[in-house]
Formats: sequence, C-alpha cells, structure tokens
Amino acid sequence: MRHGTAAASGGKGRGRPRAVPRPEVPARPAGRLDDEDMPAPDDALLLKMLHSMKLTRALEYRIERKLYRQGKIVGGVYVGRGQEAISVGAAVHIRRGEGEDRDDIVSPSHRDMAVFLMQGVPPERILAQYMGRKTGLTRGRDGNMHMGDLRHRLVAFISHLGDSIPVAAGCALTFVMRGTDQVSFCFFGEGATSRGDWHEGLNFAAVRRLPVVFICNNNQYAYSTHVSRQMRVERVSDRAAGYGIPGETADGNDLLAVYDRVGRAVRRARRGEGPSLLEFVTFRMTGHSAHDDAGYVPKSEFEEWGRKDPIERLQSALLRRGLVDKPSLAGMEARIEADLDEAVAWAERQPYPEPEECLDGVYHEGGPGAGDGPQGESTAWR
Amino acid sequence: MRVDVIMPQMGESIAEGTLTRWLKKPGDKVARDEPIFEISTDKVDAEIPSPAAGTLVEIKVQEGQTVPINVVVAQIETEAGAAAGAGKAAAQPEGPKAAPEGAKAAPAAQAPAAKQPPAASAKPAVPAGGGSDGRDRAPQAEAPAAPSAPASWGPGPSASREIPKASSLAGSGSTVDDLRRVRSSPVVRKIAQEHHVDISRLAGTGVSGRVTKKDILAAIEGGAATAARAAGAPDRSASPAPAAAAASRSSAPAPVYAPGQRSSIVPMTAMRKKIAEHMIASRRTSAHVTTVFEVDMSRVMRLREEHKQAFQERHGVKLTPTPFMVRAAVEALKAFPEINASIEGDNVVYKKDMNIGIAVALDWGLIVPVLKHADDLSLSGIAKAVADLAERARTKKLSPDDVQGGTFTITNPGIFGSLFGTPIISQPQVAILGVGVIEKRVVVVQDAIGIRPMVFLALSFDHRLIDGAVADQFMAHIKATLEQGKFAEIV
Amino acid sequence: MALTTYVEAIRQGIWEEMERDKRVFILGEDVGVYGGAFKVTEGMLAKFGEDRVIDTPISESAIVGAAIGAALLGMRPIAEMQFIDFISCAFDQITNFAAKNRYRWGAGVPMVIRGPSGGGVHGGPYHSQNPEMYFVHTPGLKVVAPATAYDAKGLIKAAIRDEDPVIYLEHKYLYRRIKEELPKEDYVVPIGVAAVRREGRDLAILTYGAMLYQALEAAEVLAKEEGVETEVVDLRSLLPLDKDAILNAAKKTGKVLVVHEDTRTGGIAGEIAAIINEEVFEYLDGPVLRVTAPDTPVPYSPPLEEFFLPNKEKILKAARQLAAY
Repeated sequence: MRHGTAAASGGKGRGRPRAVPRPEVPARPAGRLDDEDMPAPDDALLLKMLHSMKLTRALEYRIERKLYRQGKIVGGVYVGRGQEAISVGAAVHIRRGEGEDRDDIVSPSHRDMAVFLMQGVPPERILAQYMGRKTGLTRGRDGNMHMGDLRHRLVAFISHLGDSIPVAAGCALTFVMRGTDQVSFCFFGEGATSRGDWHEGLNFAAVRRLPVVFICNNNQYAYSTHVSRQMRVERVSDRAAGYGIPGETADGNDLLAVYDRVGRAVRRARRGEGPSLLEFVTFRMTGHSAHDDAGYVPKSEFEEWGRKDPIERLQSALLRRGLVDKPSLAGMEARIEADLDEAVAWAERQPYPEPEECLDGVYHEGGPGAGDGPQGESTAWR
Repeated sequence: MRVDVIMPQMGESIAEGTLTRWLKKPGDKVARDEPIFEISTDKVDAEIPSPAAGTLVEIKVQEGQTVPINVVVAQIETEAGAAAGAGKAAAQPEGPKAAPEGAKAAPAAQAPAAKQPPAASAKPAVPAGGGSDGRDRAPQAEAPAAPSAPASWGPGPSASREIPKASSLAGSGSTVDDLRRVRSSPVVRKIAQEHHVDISRLAGTGVSGRVTKKDILAAIEGGAATAARAAGAPDRSASPAPAAAAASRSSAPAPVYAPGQRSSIVPMTAMRKKIAEHMIASRRTSAHVTTVFEVDMSRVMRLREEHKQAFQERHGVKLTPTPFMVRAAVEALKAFPEINASIEGDNVVYKKDMNIGIAVALDWGLIVPVLKHADDLSLSGIAKAVADLAERARTKKLSPDDVQGGTFTITNPGIFGSLFGTPIISQPQVAILGVGVIEKRVVVVQDAIGIRPMVFLALSFDHRLIDGAVADQFMAHIKATLEQGKFAEIV
Repeated sequence: MALTTYVEAIRQGIWEEMERDKRVFILGEDVGVYGGAFKVTEGMLAKFGEDRVIDTPISESAIVGAAIGAALLGMRPIAEMQFIDFISCAFDQITNFAAKNRYRWGAGVPMVIRGPSGGGVHGGPYHSQNPEMYFVHTPGLKVVAPATAYDAKGLIKAAIRDEDPVIYLEHKYLYRRIKEELPKEDYVVPIGVAAVRREGRDLAILTYGAMLYQALEAAEVLAKEEGVETEVVDLRSLLPLDKDAILNAAKKTGKVLVVHEDTRTGGIAGEIAAIINEEVFEYLDGPVLRVTAPDTPVPYSPPLEEFFLPNKEKILKAARQLAAY
C-alpha cells in the first residue's frame, strides 16, 4: 500500500519498477498438441501395458469385491475400475530408474493404482496399506490411496482434491530451476477441476511454462455428481485456452490414444514448451467407493461403457494381431492371481503399528539428511 | 489562525522522512492541495500538498533534514474560519494521542458483568452467617459494590479481568475472600506445609488480606510483621452483626509473639469489624434497658417428655423448648404490639408481620435466621421451621430472605450456661429476648421447697419506645404462657 | 558499525542464505521486479536472477503449493505472503498438505512462509492481522515471531535451514522502528528458544512481537515507581513454545502476565496459562493474567485501533493488580 503522490520526475531509481522484457506469450493453441509423428508402442511395451492393466484390475477387484466385503480392509476403498487405460497409458511415459536428475515425478489421484504398480510399488505393500499395517506405505498414518513414496517418485495426494495441482507445478518449477528436462505428471478427475487450487496451479504452470502434464480422468461422475452438474463447458480441455496452453480430449478407454496424447504432451514438456491439459473421457465402472453402489447411475450407462472396456479392447486388438492368444492370456491371468494370493497372505501377516507410534514423525528428528522415511530410510531427494 | 504542516507517513512501516526541497518560502501564498515541499523516504519520493490555503509563515524543518513522521515542518496562516476546518481535516492521521478522551474513557465504564465468569462478577458479598447458596443476593450486606468489569468492554476485554472482589462461589459456601485468606495460593500453601506454618495465623498484605508469598517468607524468617489472627474461623466479608452480645465462637487461637514482643498486633477481620460497628451503633441508637424474669419450665418440660416421641414420629423433628418460647413470645407480641415495632425518626412503625429471629449457634459463629409469620404457625409448624432454619444455617444454605425482615429476636445465651444476659438489640427492632440456661433449681412452691427446671428470661428493650411497665407486662405474659399455657395442639 | 533495521535484517538473512545455499529461492507477489511491498527482497532479482526470485500471479494457494512441490524435491523455497493476512488463501495447502506430509508418508517439506503481520499502522482488518494461532494449532508446522533485528535475521536463517515448514511472522510496525547493531558473522537463533529481555523476581511478563517493547516500557515504570521488578520474556517461537522458559518464569516469580497483540480467545496466552496451571501450579502466588486485544477484527480508525491494541498502560494496569494480589 502506498500513499501520497509519486514524484513526477524520475531520477531516483531505487524502489521504482524498472522496465523488464516481458516473457513471450505462446500463440493460442490450435487444439491438437502438435502435428509431429508420435511412434506407436512396440510389442514388448504393449504386452507390458496389457499386463499392468490386468494386474491393476485384478488387484482392485480383490480389494473392492473380496477383501473389503470380508472385513479385511480398514476404512474406505476407491478403485479405478474401467479407467486403467488412462493410468497405464500415461504412466508408461514416466521416466524412472535413471537417478534424481533424470527421473520424472508423478502426483497420482485415487483412481491411479496402476501408476503405483508401474512405478515399482509391489502389490503386497499396497495391500498392507489398505489394511492399515505398519508396513503399508504410510505406516498406518493414512489410508487407502493416500500414499506416496519419493523413492518411487510418487507424491501422495490429499483428500482435498485440487491441492495437488500447484504442488505438481512446484515440482516442475524445480526441474526448470535445475535446468533438466524432467517432467511432472499430475492426475486428477473432472471434479477436481472445479476447485480454486486447480485454477491457480494451472495458471501458475502456464505463466511460467512449466513442464507439467496435466491428465484429467473424466470418468463423468464425481461421487454422485454427473459432469453436467460439475461444469458448463463440454470438455474439460476447453479450459486450456483460458490458460494459454494446449488442451486435447481423447477416448480414455483407448489405451493407444492415451499413450499417444500423453507421449506428445511429455515431449512438449521436455522441450521446454510448457504444460498441456489432457482430458481422457471414460466411465467410472463402480461406485465412488466400495460402499457406494452408484444407484444414481442409469444401468444403461454401465452396460454401454461395459462394452467399451479398455482391457477387452486392447486384448482383442492384440489377439487379432496374434501378439497374444487365449492360452497366454489365461496364463497371464493365472500368474497374476497366484501372485496376488501370495501378496494378500503376506499383507495379512503384517503387524499393526504400535499405539505410541501415533506421536512419532510429526517433525524432523536428527540432523539434516537423517533418514525420514517410513522405516527410517531416506525418501527425500538430497 | 495557524495550521500545522506535518511530515506525512508514506507507507505502513515508514517512521521518518527527509525534507528534500521546499517549493515555497515564508511569505508565499499557497492554495490548498498545492505542492508545498518534497520528501524522500525509503520507499518513495513525493510532493506533499498543502493542507490549507493561506500564507506560509514559518518553516521549522530545513531542506536535507530527516524528521520522524507527524513532526510539524511548517505553519500556514489561514484566513480564519474558511481554512480552520480544512486544516484539521487535511492533516495526516495523527497517532493515538488524537483519540478523543471520550473514546478512551467510555469503554471502561461499560461492564457487561454477565459476560464475566460467575466468580468474578456482580454478586455482592454473602450476608449474615456466611451461608451461601450461590444465588444472587440483594445487596443487603455491606458488600463492596459489584466489581466493575475490567477496563475493557463488550465481547472481549482488552485488559485482563480485574481480580474479583468479594463474591460468592456457587454451592461452596465460601466466598472468594474466604478462600484467599484461608487457602491463599498454591505456593503459599506449599511453603506453609513445608515449614509447618498455619496460614490462618498470619497477617496478610495481599488482596482480601491474603497471605502472600512475601508475607509467609517474611514470617518464617521471623520478621517483625509476624502476628496472629484473632479469628480462627473462616471470615465472611460482611455480615450484619448478630445483636446478641454473646456471639458464640470457637476459642480463638493463641496469639503468636515474636521474640522480644510483649504484645501482638493483629488486624481485625472484616467480619469482626462489622460486628464491632453494629454493636456500638445499636448501643448508640437504642436506650437499652434489661428486665429479667424467672420462669418455671416444668410444664413445658413435662409436655415435651410426654409428646416428644409422638411428635418426632408425626412431624419428623425434635420437640425442643424453642418452639414453646417462640409461641409464648408471639402471643405476648399480639398483646403488646409496640414491641413488634420500630422507630423511624419521630414515628413508630408497627409491623403486622411477626418475624421472629432465632439465633443459631454455629461452629464458626452466630447467625440469626428469621422465622417468618410465626403467628401463622402451629407449634409443630414452628418446630419444623426452626429445625429447617437451623439445619440450613449449619449447612450454609440460607437465602438472603432468611436473614432479613425480623421484627423480634430470641437469643439463647443459656446454651453455654449463662444464667441470663443483657443482649444488645438487633436494629431496627426494639426488643430482644435472651433465654438463659434451663436448669433445676430449688424454688419455693406453695411455701415448700421444690426442685423445678427454671430459666431466666431477660428482655432488653428500647426505652425510647417501650416503658418498663410495658416490658414487664410483656414478660409476665410470656411467663404465664409458658407456665400455664395449654399448647393444646401438641396434645 | 551501522545500525540495521528489523526489515533490513530480514533482507540480509535471506540474502545470505541464498548466497550460501543454491537451493534457496523466493516466490511471491511483487518480490522480484518491485523488490517486495516492504522492500524485503530489494535487489535480489538483480543478484540472483529470475529463476530464484519469482514474481507470481495473485495465487497464494499456488504459491504455497508450488513451494511444497519444490520442497519435496529438495529445494528450500521461501514463499512470501504480501501481507500475512492473505495466508488464509493458502490455508488448505499449509495445514493439509505441508503440515501433514512428513507424518503421513515421511516426506519433509523444508519451506518458509513469511510475511508482515500485526497492527498499529491504520491498516484495518486485512492488513493488520495476527494469524499465528491457526497454525500453532496445526501439528507439523513451526511458527516464529521475532521482535528484534538480531532475532529477525537469526530466525529467518533458522527457518530456512529447518527441515519442516516454518511460518515466519514479521511485525510490520517494527520494520523500520527497530534498529540494532548486528554481528558480521553468520549466526542463527534457534527455533523453540525464548529470550529473557529483562530480569526480575516479582512478576513475569511473557510476550512476543511488537508487544515486547510495550512490556519493557511497563517494566521500567514498575521498577521506578513501585519497586516491582519484572522479568520480561520474549517467546520468539510460538510453535514449539519454549516450555522451560515459561515454567521457569512462573516458578521464579509466582506471578505471570501474558501479553499479546493477538485477539483474546484462542490466543496463545490461554495455552500458556494452561501449561503453567498444569505443570507449576504449586508455584503460583496469583492467577495467570493476560493482556490481549479484544475479540474483534482489527479496526481502522485511530481511536478504535488504539482501543484495540494492548499498550503500556493496559499492561501496567494488569501488572499492578497482579503485583498487589
């Protein structure tokens, strides 16, 4: 706040705004991210992605339809049934295993269990997390998908959806400051885009041209709220123009479409061209959570979208191409189920945290660099 | 008139400014809002407009000088009237000194006592006898006025609450004053315990006469201020003193002498002061005369013996001599209404109601609850009422109403063995009946020696209103009732 | 050596840390080109560059959120709230993201959120607030409030070096009114440690921020006019509180007065009184009293603001009551 009148003549210099060159404003995007060629995934990658989708589906099914109903889960369950193509098709682009100055960082949402699995978190740790055990990802501090682990480059989201967007932008800001081509992936649903933090985060990323890939899983329902009650625009990606960044919408049940769009957005980001807003339209094939039967959704919608199941579609395509056959699929499924059996057994054997542990870990203890991970290991990038 | 031109504050954190250039010199005419000088601060350089139209007459701060904000840098002589209001209005907001006195004073006066925690607020002190039921009392007692709320106002005081003066604590029966004096503070209690010192024996210099940490430490170190308290009992902050001269009290603790002292000076407690005041005031007001009658209580005692079992079973209370006394007094008051009266100026105020004060001896003192409308009550009614009042007196559950409005008082020095007393009248009444010890004495009965339970009844009366003849006839009436009365209803 | 103002001390502290540690950077509104609304970051854009002194849109939530994201990756961001009153826009990010991160999944957030707080400058309700208690109430955060230029510099350094999120509350009234000579060499004032500014046996005043000076003036009057010796403790840290200092003052004097500019209900004086009551009750020779602002928004017009703010006179009144108890 300043009072009084500023002196008319210049000459003092100190404390007065200097003229600075304005940052260049990118041209209004045409709609598509770019027109360059985007290579399709090779066979190995396709099989890997199929496996990831099937593993995710099986694990979530195990949790939601079995363990939860057996009373073996603590608290709520949120799965991404039917939306696996989005998590998988995007996560496969996340650079990992190459070190702190190369690995990308990802802020998943609650429908993105596949991202955790693909970033290297074993199913048994996820199960222990859902069961509130000491060896879950948060040592019992938070439940279900509210987990993260910096070693796996996973930022834990909080229940206040939308908050992760500025945080993801902050990670990208760090990459820019360090001068690397690392990318920050940010997953959220269409409901989260209604929050103020979403706007602020997108705007900030856009203004600073940060390397963020914003991935909107538009599964058309936020709890019981249909997307038509969530926003007036037809497409979430329409909003991108408002921030001066490119936005694109694609079929979220088409793994190859997801793979393609995310690949382009990542490419843009790595080149320093700034953030992109991707929207993948899909359908939430379950209730909002395990305790919600989604009675508010017309049955016909479930049927219609059931026919477009992403795993089915990819499998059919691969079968047609001869990359897989029925026996190999059956074998894959059997192995997945067997692995999950072991994982569940392991998780059920895990101890609960000690009650007094409640008091631990609010603040940093020990000197700088002392391990501050869930089991004393260091999770921070130092 | 002269208008001040001041160094303005150009930003919240700015505390000073440098006057860099005068744009006008003394003698120049200036228009309002016309730039008059330039300043420089940490944040900005600025032209400062004149607060008034007139002539620049005096420059107090030179170019290049740095002065704190609000300092007067110059003065302008205005055309009186036109510029006066403008000058004041255009001046920079002054510091808090400019706040109108009213604004400062007003909040202090507002006292939503209701918003204070109960202990702190508008309850006056406990009246006679220390009984407290936590309810608000009519300020009959000489309580300090409701403590004004602290110098703050409304929803949140800006100063801490005032340390409360005397007030009641719901249910406990002790006032805050009591607690301060007896329990003091945690540290004082701790020191007292460690050094085996009785806090109640020390004089205190703190609020409510509280023993402070300094006091007890000084006492332990054998300082000259060490002294004992007279009253061992928990003191009450105010009480209309019982009119009876024989205030029942537990024995006072022995005074403590410091080495070399021949006397021990102990400040009076508040209650003691009030008793002293009341007693002497009563003596100064009434022309006290006492007449003594001896009454044969055999009939009363026999009736008691015969009926006490059935009475207890029927009415749930013991049958003591007291209801008989009250009954006899009431009958006598009916016959001699001037004894149930008071004096106001040159007028005699006769009271229709017969509210008999009954002195009750307690461990910690004396209290006189009032039996209202005793004339409406039967013997059992009186007995029950007396028992109830006594019980409530002992458990400190009397209400203000219970100790007000008496028209005649009966006191009982006899419980300690006194033959008879010369009690002091409880103002504004005009008489008080003292009942001595009921004991078997040798008396002449029809020219023979008999042994009868006898009692001396002493009536102190105010000779301004009551002549000896009236008093004696009144007493004869009482005697007759007690010695021959039917007391039919108990049969 | 020249006297350094409180605001200059903050600026120096930040500058030195940015030189010392490349991970430190600043983001906020008008911090770069303009040098900050109060000139705290003057000259830093030129010295450290656009990447480390970032002018943001008006987006407190994004400012704090981005700082969290950067801190997760090992940076040391300083997020400025132009007036600390605007910190409420970022409440969610601070209390639900930053504060709980370490507890939930072991990932520390070494960031600082700083800004000018406090009244006495005719700023009105939105430029004068003392929001500390929203954050003192949030486990996982730290909250500090220096009162001297020395502490301003030492505490901003401590905050920047701390592994946890620190809310650093500057007092705008003190910015240019407090000047001290500061040591040349690097020094840090530890978080969680109070400072005794004046010693006394009869009464203790616990306070922080701008009220320190009012308390010291009152203590001087009490000594000169009444022979009452007051111990004045500058808390400096509100979370964590220096419990030992509080308890020692209570034990030493038996009579404690807590003074803060913050409003009464939910102000830290209540917390301090509770602690004293719980832990050193037996040492008390009188109730713990408090002098605070009333429970209203901060008013604007001078007579109202003067009524609102605690000051030497109000402190004296309460202190005298307590001393006489």
